[in-house]
Amino acid sequence: MIPKPAASGQTMIEFKDVHKWYGDYHALRGISATIRAGEFFSLLGPSGCGKTTLLRTIAGFEGISEGVVLIDGKDATDIPPNKRPTNMVFQSYAIFPHLTVAQNVGFGLRKQRLAKADLDARVAEALEMVGLKGYGARAAHALSGGQRQRVALARALILKPKVLLLDEPLSALDKKMREQMQVELIKLQRQVGITFILVTHDQEEALVMSDRIAVMFEGEIAQLSDAETLYRRPNSRRVADFIGTMNFLPAEVISETAGSIEVEAQGFGRIHVDPKQAASEAPGKSASIGFRPETLTILHEGQQATDREVGAVIEEVVYYGDMTYYDVKIDGTQKMVRLSMRNVFGRPVLDRGARTRIAWSPGALVLFR
Amino acid sequence: MKRSARGAGTEASSGLLLVSPPAIYALVLLAAPLATIILYSFFTDGYLEVIREFTLANYWETWVNPLYRTVMLRSLLVSVLVTAATVLLAFPVAYFVSFHVDPSRKSLWLFLITIPFWTSYLIRVFLWKVILGYNGVVNSGLLSLGIIDEPLTFLLYNTNSVVITLAHAYAPFAILPIFVALEKIDRSLLEAGQDLGETKFATFCRVTLPLAMPGVVASVLIVFIPTIGDYVTPQLVGGPEGRMVANLIQLQYLRLDNYPLGSAIAVSAMGIVAIISLIFLGLTRRYLRAPK
Amino acid sequence: MKGGWFKLYALAYLVFLYAPIVLLPMFAFNDATVIAFPLNGFTTKWFSEMWVAPGLWPALKNSMIIAISTAVIATALGIFAARASTRYKFPGKAGIMGLIMLPLVLPEIIVAVSLLVVLLGIGVPLSIFTVILGHVLMTTPFTIAILSSAFQSLDRSLEEAAYDLGETPVSAFRLVILPLVMPGIISSLLISFTISLDEFIIAFFLGGTQVTLPVYIFSQFRFPQSVPVIMALGTILVALSILLLSIAEYFRRRGIAKSGGKDTGGFL
Repeated sequence: MIPKPAASGQTMIEFKDVHKWYGDYHALRGISATIRAGEFFSLLGPSGCGKTTLLRTIAGFEGISEGVVLIDGKDATDIPPNKRPTNMVFQSYAIFPHLTVAQNVGFGLRKQRLAKADLDARVAEALEMVGLKGYGARAAHALSGGQRQRVALARALILKPKVLLLDEPLSALDKKMREQMQVELIKLQRQVGITFILVTHDQEEALVMSDRIAVMFEGEIAQLSDAETLYRRPNSRRVADFIGTMNFLPAEVISETAGSIEVEAQGFGRIHVDPKQAASEAPGKSASIGFRPETLTILHEGQQATDREVGAVIEEVVYYGDMTYYDVKIDGTQKMVRLSMRNVFGRPVLDRGARTRIAWSPGALVLFR
Repeated sequence: MKRSARGAGTEASSGLLLVSPPAIYALVLLAAPLATIILYSFFTDGYLEVIREFTLANYWETWVNPLYRTVMLRSLLVSVLVTAATVLLAFPVAYFVSFHVDPSRKSLWLFLITIPFWTSYLIRVFLWKVILGYNGVVNSGLLSLGIIDEPLTFLLYNTNSVVITLAHAYAPFAILPIFVALEKIDRSLLEAGQDLGETKFATFCRVTLPLAMPGVVASVLIVFIPTIGDYVTPQLVGGPEGRMVANLIQLQYLRLDNYPLGSAIAVSAMGIVAIISLIFLGLTRRYLRAPK
Repeated sequence: MKGGWFKLYALAYLVFLYAPIVLLPMFAFNDATVIAFPLNGFTTKWFSEMWVAPGLWPALKNSMIIAISTAVIATALGIFAARASTRYKFPGKAGIMGLIMLPLVLPEIIVAVSLLVVLLGIGVPLSIFTVILGHVLMTTPFTIAILSSAFQSLDRSLEEAAYDLGETPVSAFRLVILPLVMPGIISSLLISFTISLDEFIIAFFLGGTQVTLPVYIFSQFRFPQSVPVIMALGTILVALSILLLSIAEYFRRRGIAKSGGKDTGGFL
């Protein structure tokens, strides 16, 4: 593994209260965030949440209605796309169909008026970096999807931009190819040390690749944090629901001190939750306890819980090969919750209708209120 | 609240700037001239000059004088007949190319269908005169086969010959829009129709035809509107009883120098075409609300 | 038999479409002044007579000047309109585009007389120039139809990619858009050239004393003895337009293949 140059902590992109209106449609609603130099940053959200629009404000393809976008400390408002130190990998890759691979990759170097030999060397170097050594003379329209993507990467990186913008670059690829490219992109980012900003609707992709992720809904950033925090301590039910699976059970806050919140949670009884595990949403909403499918364990015959346990009935079994999902009803609750268990060799998959015991600990529970 | 985006709004202005050369051209050389003949149609004709005095006399003449009225009505009749013949004859061809021709050969068929349209219109019309004439192809063919004893005379120099020739001239115009509409039909809809218990023919009537209607409407309009103003065909194959409105307009403008009356005839013809087209669009409106 | 009757019908229809065109060379090579059956033996004399026919060459020259100018001007206007309509949203777009496309459905005689009235009204003498004005008006909608499909099949992000890689809007147009729509431009030039070359009414009304080829042909129909020469001329014209159209079709298809699109067929 190539060691990762730690994100320097310097600010590369800064959004200050950015708004964007399309007529009456409010596409970006006050975005404020900073993206650090050298980090792999993702904008994650469902389609229509404004993530692509936000990316395009960095590239300069979208003007903004209010606020400021700073790129490397400079107000970018009046800088046209061709003068910005950013380059983009488009969702469609936008490979020029009338040019060869080498001409595509060298497209942005035209203005630098390099000698032919220098130009060729730069292009060859860029092609090698993306694993397309020797493809220079190929016609662009004869490339496969994965190859187009590599050409798009080489074409953008050859200009040594300060920021590389990636607009859903993997969405056109099949699953295998996508997983392979995820790893390659991470390696590439470590190698070149440039700030990568990725737009994606695929939460798994964002979790795998990013140093930090901004989850967006309806033109606003709902949560901005590293992948693990996002997964373990989502700051709202909506984020929790969007990232992976989160089970919710009704709960009631009984009392609250600086170090602990006492909660009456359906199925789990009275527990104390660490305030760090508590997400404050809009006041007035009823509270819930949330947990991920893999944080509770279904105990098999004779196994003892390390912390606490509750009884439950298995209502539905969905077998995935390496995993099995169990929809269970915990004693004292009405709502089904989903648990996942890794299938361990030698241990049978449990049957529908079976009674079972579930091990849990308060540390796995997140409070939403 | 300042909503006007910085940088936006340039979109509208660059669009307008870009479209302005052709738009100004059309404004000066199309919209203004059309407005002028509408204006002229209300002026009074003085010998060799136009007197700028408002009158409805030209329209009175156009609509009441049997000479003009007959030609106007005949033009309308010819246009309707041509449109009906062209569209009805064209539909099966469009259907064949869309549904029964291998996709790789479709553009070859379309190319074959469009080629005659691009060859000299005048010469094509003249050749219909040869085909339909007294010593023409049809007559000599029928004579030599012994089907007739003497040449048929109803083929040329009347409304029939005008209809046949125009139906030929506008064939590609009718086929292409229908073809495009048929191509857009999702083939699984037809399978669904049959799957739900309809025969092929019933599926055609209940699924294919309604979905092809936008194309049919387009081809009706694209044939009907220009045919009414055709000049060459009635002039060459129409004879005295095949004269149409364009011949009348030409007569008023170039021979009689009566611009106001010529304009009134032209405006009336345009008006009739516009009204009939709008009525037709209104009647077929329910088929045209095609979901995008 | 799948589509058997339809195929039979379609072939019969093609015969109907091609009937006049097939007759053309028959009479062009027929050794008789009267254009009628039966044919009278083979000759090429009409082609050699065509060579010395009075008035033909000036008419051809006028037609060529008009058709070439029309093709260039109409295609240039078409590029503006097609680019504006496929790339930008602007107020009054439907109305403006509707006006520009109107000649497609307007009877030519209306265009001809309305232009005639205005040109004479403001004292512009009728000439080749006035015919060009009318032909540009008539052919621009066709060029827009062809060019729009060329611009439409262009991925918007190609242009953005060029900006992103440092090009200005002007150089991006030259380096990326123009090469990709070039086949459409060539096809548009050829189609508008062909339409203009064949157009009769506007040339008849607006040409004044300057005669174009179709106007010449029309005048010759009045003299039965010159008709065989016209048949010979027509044969050459038809052969030429089929050639031009094949080239146009070739470029149109290459354009689609180049930009990676799918062939939907047809010129219109």
